[in-house]
Amino acid sequence: MSIDLDIVVKALPFLLQGLKVTAVVSLTGILIGFAIGTAAAYGAESRTAPLKMFALAYVECVRNVPFLIVVYLAFFGLPKLGFHASAYAIGIGATAFYTGGYFCEIARAALRSVPRGQLAAARSLGMGSVQVQRYVVIPQTFSFLIPPTASLVIMMFKDSAIFSVMSLPELTYQSNLMTADTFAYLEVLGTAALIYWLCSSVFDAIGQVLERRLRVLHR
Amino acid sequence: MESSLSIVLRPLMAGLVQAVGTTVFASVAAFAIGLLLGIALLVVRATGGKAVKVLVAIYVSFMRGTPLLVQLLLAFYVLPSLIGIQLVPLAAGILALSLNTTAYISEILRGALSTLPRGQGAAARALGMRAHQVWWHVLLPQVFHRSLPPLTNEFTVILKASSLLSLIAVDELSTLARNATLQTDLPLQVFLIAAIIYFVILWCASSISRGIEYRIAKLLPHVN
Repeated sequence: MSIDLDIVVKALPFLLQGLKVTAVVSLTGILIGFAIGTAAAYGAESRTAPLKMFALAYVECVRNVPFLIVVYLAFFGLPKLGFHASAYAIGIGATAFYTGGYFCEIARAALRSVPRGQLAAARSLGMGSVQVQRYVVIPQTFSFLIPPTASLVIMMFKDSAIFSVMSLPELTYQSNLMTADTFAYLEVLGTAALIYWLCSSVFDAIGQVLERRLRVLHR
Repeated sequence: MESSLSIVLRPLMAGLVQAVGTTVFASVAAFAIGLLLGIALLVVRATGGKAVKVLVAIYVSFMRGTPLLVQLLLAFYVLPSLIGIQLVPLAAGILALSLNTTAYISEILRGALSTLPRGQGAAARALGMRAHQVWWHVLLPQVFHRSLPPLTNEFTVILKASSLLSLIAVDELSTLARNATLQTDLPLQVFLIAAIIYFVILWCASSISRGIEYRIAKLLPHVN
């Protein structure tokens, strides 16, 4: 089987358009997810029982339900509740929901990595609880957070391929359109795979650089 | 409400056992193959030459850097024309799932191997063990013990990911749910039930592996 480079050249602009949608939807969703996950982590670590249970239940839902089912529920289920959202909004929302659950686990582990005695020490120096977090806890969690967070970003970036089921014109959907037209599965899917691979490698490299920088900062 | 529940349940119940069976079978098969290949990659990577190491690293990077959905589509549409064999959807699905999980499992095992004291392999060799004996009796048991929690996690990831097999027309749980929504036009209820079923399966899977962890901890009190 030979590779038809003409098709690759023709497909590339369409695929890159898809990449733009993939990037916007997944990165927006991931950023919102970080906020949700951080809030959930503080909830899970708090002493308020209902808050804690709610956060833990949320994490369990994310960990035990496939992303595809979450997307189906949102895309087909929400309109039945009278809530009509575009595929873009649902993509961003589903990414945020899922990222939040995983980031909550990462953030909890990071928060716990700071020795408890430091919290007491900071409080006894007269810091308020917000200041303790801002100046003592959070700066120390960064180098701990980076590696799993980089994996999470890559995971959610790749999972955005699932949005092709709701005809969101992202990278995988665009390549499905192209293959339906040309039947050039190897060329089109191969190019799409290479684009994803390149992006994931970039995220991976950014994560490694950040990790190295922050590790140096702490010494 | 009573009647609407039975409307939702009827099409779901009809194929439930078979669909759950396929989901579990595909995940377990992919995980078992992935474990074998993951061990092979671990040993190859630890003992092989530079070229082999680079090849394995590229494989792992590709599998971890591209979406499983794209890998499934490649296995389903492209592989047949490359090797000249038409795979049934389930076979293509298990193939893609297992090649994908192989990469993750080999990284998990490599991480565990790197936590072992460096001298152990050399000490075992010095005691007169052959290379395969060192792996089988000294290194691999400890690697497994240390990687059990992340391996469990990887299994739940694979079971969740097996829902994507529905997109290459494998008759599994997500396909059943999707078809049931087409019949009943009650997507909210049907997908909620599907989510609960996945939740229960995954919860059982993690309980089983916690049990295994506990047993191994009792069997090997001297490790860790």
